[in-house]
Amino acid sequence: MFFKWFPFNFVELSTMARYPFISAAKEWVKNEKATIEEILFDDIYERARGRGAERVMQAVIAGFIKDIPLLSEIDCVMEIFSYPVARMIVVASGSEYVIRRYALAEAKRAYENLKNESINFIEKMADEFGMRINGNRMYFVDYLRYAPTWDIKWKLVNRELKKGEVVLEKHEIARLLQEAIRKKIYNELTYMYPPPEIKKVFGDVIDEIKSRVSFREKENKIEEVDARLFPPCIKNLVSATKSGMNVPHVGRFTLVTFLNAVGMSVEEILKIFSSSPDFNAEKTRYQIEHITGKISGTNYTPPKCDTIRTWGLCFPDDICRRVKHPLSYYRLKRRRK
Amino acid sequence: MNFLRKKFMEYYSNPFIEFPARFDRREYAFILFGEGGMRRHISFLSKDDLLSYLRKNSPAHVYYSSAYYRHPDAGTMREKEWMGADLIFDLDADHIPNAIQMSYEEMLLEVKKELEKLLSFLMEDFGFEKRHIRLYFSGGRGYHCHVSHPDVIPLGSQERREIVDYVTARGLNFKGIVKEKSIPKEYFSDKTLEINPKRGGWSGRIARGIIEFLREVKKMEREKAIKKLMELDGIGEKTASSLYDFLTEERIRRIEDGKIDQSTEFKRIAIPLIKKLSVSMQSSTDEPVTGDIKRLIRLPGSLHGKTGLRVTNVDVDNLHEFNPLRDAVVFGENGIKVVVEKPLSIEMMENKFKIERGMREVPEYLAVFLVARGFATA
Repeated sequence: MFFKWFPFNFVELSTMARYPFISAAKEWVKNEKATIEEILFDDIYERARGRGAERVMQAVIAGFIKDIPLLSEIDCVMEIFSYPVARMIVVASGSEYVIRRYALAEAKRAYENLKNESINFIEKMADEFGMRINGNRMYFVDYLRYAPTWDIKWKLVNRELKKGEVVLEKHEIARLLQEAIRKKIYNELTYMYPPPEIKKVFGDVIDEIKSRVSFREKENKIEEVDARLFPPCIKNLVSATKSGMNVPHVGRFTLVTFLNAVGMSVEEILKIFSSSPDFNAEKTRYQIEHITGKISGTNYTPPKCDTIRTWGLCFPDDICRRVKHPLSYYRLKRRRK
Repeated sequence: MNFLRKKFMEYYSNPFIEFPARFDRREYAFILFGEGGMRRHISFLSKDDLLSYLRKNSPAHVYYSSAYYRHPDAGTMREKEWMGADLIFDLDADHIPNAIQMSYEEMLLEVKKELEKLLSFLMEDFGFEKRHIRLYFSGGRGYHCHVSHPDVIPLGSQERREIVDYVTARGLNFKGIVKEKSIPKEYFSDKTLEINPKRGGWSGRIARGIIEFLREVKKMEREKAIKKLMELDGIGEKTASSLYDFLTEERIRRIEDGKIDQSTEFKRIAIPLIKKLSVSMQSSTDEPVTGDIKRLIRLPGSLHGKTGLRVTNVDVDNLHEFNPLRDAVVFGENGIKVVVEKPLSIEMMENKFKIERGMREVPEYLAVFLVARGFATA
């Protein structure tokens, strides 16, 4: 009767094990009345602790959390408990990078499962995240909130939109849910504090994660970038962005890919965008990381001059006549220096 | 005192102002006669305060922010604290091709056509209802469309841009929308493009647009039809005539069934057709425009300093009948002497005027219009 309040009226353990972030799972854990002490120290939860550490390690190292076989009730119970454990470890690492990477990995795992679920199930999940869907159609406002519209195929103009509803394939709804899940987990973790006892149990794991992260951060070594050598189109985009003008998607895309290609770090690129009127650090970072291949696996290259011209973003100077690509401009000018 | 300012003062002594929702959360801005800059970051706690400001200053232009803020009178965006914004579409003659060669009336008619297209997008595709949409004649060279559905108010500028891109067809990926299909035949495969007029979104719009256009062309005599085809960008006489000859009854039927042979050079008419079907709103060069989460718009009921016409609400159902040079006029008929510097023909208050250079006596409403537009001095 208690679960009547939740979109999933009666939720099976196996469902909660696969989607441990849903409110029903949270409620279930609460009802089990296990204390943090018990979860952290009791032998019963040994497996949950091991799996919790594994979740975080896999997320940090591989960017993905592998499913494990859930054959018995106890398998499911341990899997459900491993989720709050993993969250405590992530928060205890104190690293924003780990939080982001973990939230994304959990969301990706959910996506892999979701796309094979029935449309009925997906509908319930969408309901949990306040997405208004109706069969395979989604209210366009909710669509816009979660769709990666910098990608041309997700742009609203390329979608079938009828009476306020966007027609989608099942896996596409799952993809939008992935983003909603990622946001939810990220937001929750940002405001969470780790229990002090956590370091006693997971000190080693946390140290290991930290060393992995600092190693990763060293990989992105920053070379000196000289903004005076940028082609005029990029200079324009930088100053428009800095002065808080709203630059169109294609402009942002051009700017991020270019700055990434000349070796700017995500942090530095983020700084340029921070004066945008609707600046949202987390969202912008996600977009930058997507475009620079950190989370999408595709490292997009900046568009060539022809394309930039079609978008109306080209304001050529003398050197522009000799190049066909904004990066060639930069390289040419740097050689001259 | 300056003639215009005096007339504006008369109007603002008893104006008909339509106050925006969440009135006290908006920023107001004014341009006064004889002042270059804009007075910004002003807020009013009561409607009477705004009315007395108008009475006292009789500004040439009055604006309010589409956004509402926690502190609307703060000097920077950060301090203002953005809380949400109406969704505003600004349709202006500046974005209509060849507007320069048109008369004021013709220009406004062209913008109205764009507005009708926009309304069809908003209601059919986005599913907004009439009660969420308000239309205003801007007092100048166009119309504003305000959408104040509770779900759109919190949208950020990227989401809003997606909506604008949708109605202007920006970023439309033709190949993704019109699917190419190979139908294997005995030896070769037959390539066709599939269209479906019953679908929603742009794919349906393009399909319906093509079918309707080709039907229309087919009905015409050869010469006229070719002319019509050549009106589309990038279609020369040769392509036009080969296209026309290609349009047999049988082929038209096939197209209506949703199948277009690749050889029809169909793509060449489809692309310019998309342009015709979309709303012209931003200049074609697509320069980065300021996001509309923080824009200023003219206050409904205020006067436009460059025409003397009132920013006037237009009933969605009566858009067709709305005549700005009758329905947005606020001044009377008393004769006023002005010195006309540029001759002009215009129909105002359903009277036709043909005004020559020199000292003329004209009705007050026309005098204001002529002086505001710089055609005459008082």
